[in-house]
Amino acid sequence: MKTGVPFREGLFQGSDEKGSLLGARCRQCGQIIFPRREACLNCLGNDLELIQLSRKGKLYSYTIVHMPSEHFEPPYAVGWIELPEGVKIFSQIRGWQERPLETGMDMALHFEKLWDEEEKEVVGYVFRPSTNGGA
Amino acid sequence: MRDVAIIGVGSTVMGKFPESLPYELGAEAARAAIQDAGISPGDLQFAYCANLYGGMVIGQAVMGEIGITDIELTNIENACTGGATAVRKAWWDIASGLYDIGIAVGVESITTSPMAGKLITPAKGDITGELGMNMVARFALSQRRYMDMFNISLEQIAQVSVKNHRNGCMNPYSQYRKELTIEEIVNSRPICEPITLLQCCPSTDGAAAAILVPLDLAGKYTSQPVTIAASVLKSGDYAFRWEDMTFSDMTSKCANSAYEMAGLGPEDVDVCELHDAFAMNELQHYVELGFCKRGEEVRLLEEGVTDLGGKIPVNTSGGLLSKGHPVSASGVAQIAELVWQLRGQAGERQVAGAKVALAHVIGGEVTGLESGAVAVHILKR
Repeated sequence: MKTGVPFREGLFQGSDEKGSLLGARCRQCGQIIFPRREACLNCLGNDLELIQLSRKGKLYSYTIVHMPSEHFEPPYAVGWIELPEGVKIFSQIRGWQERPLETGMDMALHFEKLWDEEEKEVVGYVFRPSTNGGA
Repeated sequence: MRDVAIIGVGSTVMGKFPESLPYELGAEAARAAIQDAGISPGDLQFAYCANLYGGMVIGQAVMGEIGITDIELTNIENACTGGATAVRKAWWDIASGLYDIGIAVGVESITTSPMAGKLITPAKGDITGELGMNMVARFALSQRRYMDMFNISLEQIAQVSVKNHRNGCMNPYSQYRKELTIEEIVNSRPICEPITLLQCCPSTDGAAAAILVPLDLAGKYTSQPVTIAASVLKSGDYAFRWEDMTFSDMTSKCANSAYEMAGLGPEDVDVCELHDAFAMNELQHYVELGFCKRGEEVRLLEEGVTDLGGKIPVNTSGGLLSKGHPVSASGVAQIAELVWQLRGQAGERQVAGAKVALAHVIGGEVTGLESGAVAVHILKR
């Protein structure tokens, strides 16, 4: 089995059903940002708390891509998922062949292989249509 | 601050030119602008050259072809807004009193670049880019949301492409000179659903150039100077401040600043070149540029208000959809088209009596922002 490596450090913790995306909440203005930064991107305040973002959200918009990208062969789906915190996450969408995508549908966070890189398997977040309710 | 005028413009024909190197295209456009202005290359005191994929110091290669060396020359990269950025910077160098005559050039050769045949993507390592984002997908996401939230059909969106391709038939500089039907557009192959091939601008090679002087010196060169009444350039804002991820808040803000600077309003605009990289964009930009209220944009198109002969003809050149989108050249090519319109030199596609013209470009994809940059210029005669 190949070793799994996160596609980018600091974007998420864990890679199972307890894993989550890591954002930050500004204690000064309340803005939630993803990915985290050193300072709040809204008010530039420095008092940020690390938060785990919700694992469920709604499909804000989506597209099926019919051209290859650096790491993905067509057709593949990507979308913006709106989390209850108000943050919109750009993500690969999986499971769209089985469940036709619709704006507003419930989506759930999963951690899966994104692509292979020589001896390693690059792992990251994806969203799939949710089978047991959304946020 | 001095008023600034454009005294010469030039453009290559837009298209796919695998045999032409980027600097050759740039030199052709610069030569045409110099000839149009009736100046000698040696008169130029400074130059800006916008380019995305041509490589190191391409402006020096362009100017070196036509005998211009040893001047202040700055290369600019600002994605689709690069050409407008070059015009903006040249405007300021004249307005501020620093120089009395200079040139803004935009040049792109996609065919000879590593991007040939590929979708344009964010810079290497960009998070969304790694996860499969490209420029078409970015606007497909906006379009899906726009269609679903505002009840807009693909057929309605396709009418933009029909109009602009019809205009392109009348422009000798246009990459495509062929009319299209709604059915052809909707049924062309999907690129990023719901965007099909013929809702997209093509990839294009080409260049354009403009020559700027202070308005009070323009009479020395031409009897038909075109004044730059407003020049505004803004970088993108965070997507968390983007109201609904459909309409472009960046464009609204930039247009408002431009109208304020010009002391003019959207009701004064006689002809407009706007950023129709995808057909849907044009409908939304009508609203952001103040031509109509939200919900009226499809009617504006369907009633022919933005067609030749209407109140505000939009993209008389054929727009990016038909004339083509040589990324960094587009902002300058728009200015060339509008200068021809204001001088009454636009041939079959002439807007009768046009006095005020508006140019708008937006582009560049980076994680976390609505878009990279936006620019609006208002020209008047």
